[in-house]
Formats: sequence, structure tokens, C-alpha cells
Amino acid sequence: MLKIAIVGCGKIADQHVHAIHRIPDCRIVGLCDRELLMAKQLGERAGVAECFSDLQEMLHATRPEVVHITTPPQGHFSLARQCLEDGCHVYLEKPFTVTADEAESLIQLAQARDLKMTAGHNYQFTLEMLEMRRMVEGGFLGGKPIHLESYWSYDLGDISYVGPVLGNRNHWVRQLPGQLFHNIISHGIAKLAEFLDDELTEITATAHQSQRLQTLGADDVLDELRVLIRDEGGTTAFFCFSTQIKGVNQLRIYGPANSMVADIITGSLVRNKGRSYKSYLTYFVPPLNIAREHFRNARVNVTNFLRQRLYQDFGMKELIERFYNGIREGGEPPIPYREIILTARIMDEIFAQIYPANRAHESAREPIASTF
Amino acid sequence: MSSEYIASLGDRILVTGSNGFIGSKVVEKLLEYGFANLRCFVRPSSHLPRLKEVLDRLPAGRNVELIIGDLLSRDDCRKAAEGVSIIYHLAAGMEKSFAGAFMNSALATRNLMDAFLQFGEAKRFVNISSFAVYSNLGLRRGALLDENCPLEDAPQKRFDAYGFGKLKQEELVREYGGKYKLPYVILRPGYVFGPGKTELNGRVGINTFGFFIQVDGSHLLPLTFVDNCAEAIVLAGLKAGIDGEVFNVVDDELLTSRQFLRLYKKRVNRFSARIPYSIAYALCLLWEKYSNSSKGQLPPVFNRRRCAAEWKGNRYSNLKLRERLGWKPRVPMDQAMAAFLGQFTHDGAGDTSLKR
Repeated sequence: MLKIAIVGCGKIADQHVHAIHRIPDCRIVGLCDRELLMAKQLGERAGVAECFSDLQEMLHATRPEVVHITTPPQGHFSLARQCLEDGCHVYLEKPFTVTADEAESLIQLAQARDLKMTAGHNYQFTLEMLEMRRMVEGGFLGGKPIHLESYWSYDLGDISYVGPVLGNRNHWVRQLPGQLFHNIISHGIAKLAEFLDDELTEITATAHQSQRLQTLGADDVLDELRVLIRDEGGTTAFFCFSTQIKGVNQLRIYGPANSMVADIITGSLVRNKGRSYKSYLTYFVPPLNIAREHFRNARVNVTNFLRQRLYQDFGMKELIERFYNGIREGGEPPIPYREIILTARIMDEIFAQIYPANRAHESAREPIASTF
Repeated sequence: MSSEYIASLGDRILVTGSNGFIGSKVVEKLLEYGFANLRCFVRPSSHLPRLKEVLDRLPAGRNVELIIGDLLSRDDCRKAAEGVSIIYHLAAGMEKSFAGAFMNSALATRNLMDAFLQFGEAKRFVNISSFAVYSNLGLRRGALLDENCPLEDAPQKRFDAYGFGKLKQEELVREYGGKYKLPYVILRPGYVFGPGKTELNGRVGINTFGFFIQVDGSHLLPLTFVDNCAEAIVLAGLKAGIDGEVFNVVDDELLTSRQFLRLYKKRVNRFSARIPYSIAYALCLLWEKYSNSSKGQLPPVFNRRRCAAEWKGNRYSNLKLRERLGWKPRVPMDQAMAAFLGQFTHDGAGDTSLKR
């Protein structure tokens, strides 16, 4: 029975609890939050009696094997280091750390102590992403990806989250180097990092504030982001984060032969074969093929729903379960460390470009081509 | 000023949630009562159309002090509570998550009470709660639901984050009353309606599936018009000899859900279907069972506790409010409904709930 503890008992901790409850042979032994009342409210609902406001105290009292850190990102580095030094494996919510240097430092510490870490990139483990990964590994693309596109839309209509962020310069989201983007885009960037080389030759980021956000106030918060990336092998990637485009969370991956679109919102994977058709058939056959793909996705989703395999937090449960299995069996962690670090590095560079004031504060920074 | 009041007109009074639907009316009533030393607490993110309208309209509004802050910050709470005699605490966590609702209801209230005891001149803490804290599972249909009714003991099973936050908030207030002698009064308003609030309450029916489903219709709604509710709240802060008491706030001449919807639909073109309570209960039971067996594949948004709380149908009383506070609803129900419906045009304009 794997002993689990959670640090940070805010909204996302609820999802962790639900996901952990779906996984056999593990048990939540302790909850910790700087506000003891927050730990207790979760403990009451999750049936966990051991609640703490001090991490060290919890680690010593409950002796967890794995700690999930679900605090605001500013606390990730120090809390994770404390847990690793105490001999715990660590699941760190996204964004993994505030900077790439912190990410590298934690991973080095984990490796030195033969412990495992993972990042909360749970959208990498949704059903359609798992299928897409199988297809890529099976050679569907016909070679290395030529181009990737990741779209991540975010609805500002959820004023319960955005309102406090915009209205309060001291809100923890506003204190992050990448502000609103920093807390959200790692999901979309991680999808690209999975298929990019470690050596990147180009990152160009541009951002602006949407008219909608202007009406809500908050002068210095940007909410529209576009990024172009190229790796040393020539694979290019485009990332789009938007609060104005509605309902598009996709990864598009193009190979020499075929391409795919994984859509997180509809839980579908559309496979496009690069075959050409003669004459007017090009207007008839490809649309029918795409229709067949959509029909297949609907059928798969209905089947998965009836088998209770399709549910809201499947991605998180899958990621956590794979992480736990890796710990139990001594296998690799579900997300390669190079992918976690690359995601953090790309984010560092994006924020340095779009919030140049942050870059000005940094010590002499190498140009992108040589840092990667 | 009545000798039965614990405050004088010069006492400093704090209103949290003062830009809200009810809060702005409370500010208006306090100004009408002649309290000039008001302090209004608003969130940094708040646009303040409601509050500004009140302060601009009433001459005494010019002297009202505005404090912008976050009740989760102890420093902001100190600024808000410094020198204050009475707090009307209307700010609430409206978040859908349990943690968010707890944080913005219970935790914020804890911070405010600490600051009040330490930096205020605490005469009364008026805690605004809700009917959502009650459980009527053990009550028969049509039985009286009053201040003695049991509270919900499993809000997570009811899947009601707001109710959970309010329950925990009440627990803390009572704890502070016992441990630290905080003089408090708890008010539990029913379905507060009036101009400025366009959405139909869940007690009327469900708007989840793209059209409106009225559940049953024969049950009484615990209606209270916003002006009447605000006056009850104001009195709860002023009246002597009611520390530690709990009051339900409902008006007279309550309408059934069917009567309410009929009047609403005369004003707003809207399709609705009706299902009887027994069918709704059976569907909620099925939903709840499936949710449990599938470990939350369908979240338990429909369940027996919610079904009972919202649609079972009880009688409500404002007897305690009348007897102990001397309150009576100044705006009768027909005038209240006219004012509520007056905000809609026949095509539903003004009704933001129809546009979603």
C-alpha cells in the first residue's frame, strides 16, 4: 500500500484526491496546508484524519512515500526539495517550477537520491493523447514530425478565477514571471516539447492584450500569445494561447506521410492520410474519410463512456497511476525528465520575450540558440 | 434612533460584499436609517455599479468610506475592521469548487472575525448565511421549516459547494461566539429576488439541459424581496438582546414555484417542461446511484438531498423575525413581483440567464 500525502489543499487538490481514490493499493495518509483549516476541510470530505500546517511535521508524522504538491508555483521548488531530502517521491503540479533552473535542480536532486518526480501535465494522458502516441510510435506519421501546432484556449468568462487575478496585483498569478500565461500554458507547451529535440535554434514569441481583457481592467496582463519554435533537427512548432478563441485545445502533428489532430475538448483523434485523389474525387473522398474518423471517435467515446473509462479526470488518474507504477516497479517516470526541463526552458524564453522587464532583471542571459 | 438599538448613528459600521445584490441594498437601508459612518469593503476586482448607484443617489453616500481589499488578507481585514462597532458580513464565496467556497466563505470570515475582535469595538457581527445550510430530509412534504430544522450533515453528498462554505462559516461564527465571546447574529435568507437579479433560482427548476425543467411546481418558494431582506439584515445588526440568535428571512404571501414561473413567463417568452416531484426524486436517486457506482463519472449534481432541499416543498415562517426584530416586509409580494418582472422585456432582454 503506497502512502500518499498532499501539500496544498486548494481547488486542484480535490481532483488529486478523486484520482488517487480510483487507484488501487494506495492511501492518502496526510494533508498539509499553510492554513490548517484548508487541510481540515479537505480531510473531512476525503476521509483523511491527519491534517497539518507544517510540512516537516507531516512528513515525520505520516511518513509518506509520495507527496503531491498542489500549492501555487512559487512554493514548488522549496517544498519539493524538502520532500526529496526527506526521501519522498514527488508529483509536482504544473507549472513544475517558476524557472527552468529550478526544474533542473530538483530533477538532479531526485536522481541523486534515486527518487522519482513527475509534473502535472495530465492532459498528456487523456485517451486521445494516448492513442495519438501509440500511432506515432507505430510509424503512422511516416517519419519524424515535420511540424506541430498546439492550441490552448482559455475562457475568461470564468470570472471566479480571472476576476481576483486581474483585480489584485499581489495575487500569486500576477507575481509569476509569465503572469496569466505562466499558470496555464505548460499543458500546451508540454505537448510540443514531447516531439521537439532538446536543442532549439529559434523561439519567437509575441503577445498582446485582448479587447475583452481591456474591458475587465488589469493594464499589464497579456492574454493572447503566439510562439514559433524550431529545433535543431528542423521540426517547427507553433503555439497559440488565446482567451478569445473558444473551445480549441488541440495538438496537430504533421509527418512526412500523414498527420493527426488530437482534440482534448471533444476527446477525439482525427487521422489524416496524406494520400491524393484524382480529379473531382479529391472533393468527395477526403471529406468522407474525415467524416468516418469523426464517426469512429464518437463510437469510441460512447464505448469508453459505457465502460466507465471516459471520465473527467481520466488524464490525471492515468498519469498518477503510471507514476505510482514506476515507483513500485522501479520503472521510468511517465513524463521523461528532458520533456519537463524543455517545457520549462521554452516557457522561460517566452516570458523573457513578452515581459522584457523580467529579462532586464535577470543576470546576463545567453541567447536562445546557445542555451538549448 | 430607537432605544432598543445597540448602535448610535455615529457608530462606524462595516458592510462586506457591499457591491453585491443584497449588500448594496443594505448600504442603502443603513444610509436611510441615518448611519453616516459607513465603511464599505469591496474586492479589488469589483466593478462597483450597484454600490456606486446607491452612493451617488443618496446625499449621505458621499461620506461613505470605501475599502478595497481581499478578506483572505489579514492586513486588509485589519484595515476594514479598525474602529468598527458592527459588521454586516455579506461577502460570500460563490465558487463552484468546495475548496474555493470554503476559502472565500469560512476562511475569509475567520480572518474578519479575528480582526474585528482585535481592532474593532465589537458590538455585533451579523453573519449572512443561507437556506442552503438546512437539510429537510427528515421533514415531511409541507412540514414547517424554521430555525430549529436540522442542518445539512453531508454537504459533499448534496454536491453543494456554496452550502458547504456557508455551513463551515456558520460553525466558525458559533465557535467564535462561544470561545471569544463574539456577539453575533446569523441570518439565513431564502430565495432573494428583485431587480438586478435575473437568473431563476434552482428551487424553481433546472436549466442544465438546454431548456427549463420545472420540478413539481406545487411547492412554496421561500421568497424574500431584496429590499425586505436588506431591512431584516440591518435590524439584525441593531436590535438589542438577540446575540447568538439565528433568523430565517422570508416574506409573507409566498408563491408556489408554479405561480412564480407563470408570472415570469407572462413577461419572458420561455419554454419550460414540468415533471412531478416523484419522477424528479426517482431520477435523482438513479443519478446518485450511478455517480457512486462509477466513482463520479457523472458528478453527483442530482441527488436525493438536493432534490429534497429544493423541490420537496415545505412551509416557511418569519415569525421569529417579526417577534424578535420587529421586522415586517414593507414591500408586499405583488409589488415585489412587479418590480422583479419590470426588469425584463418580453423578448427576455435583461435576462442574462436566457442568453447563456
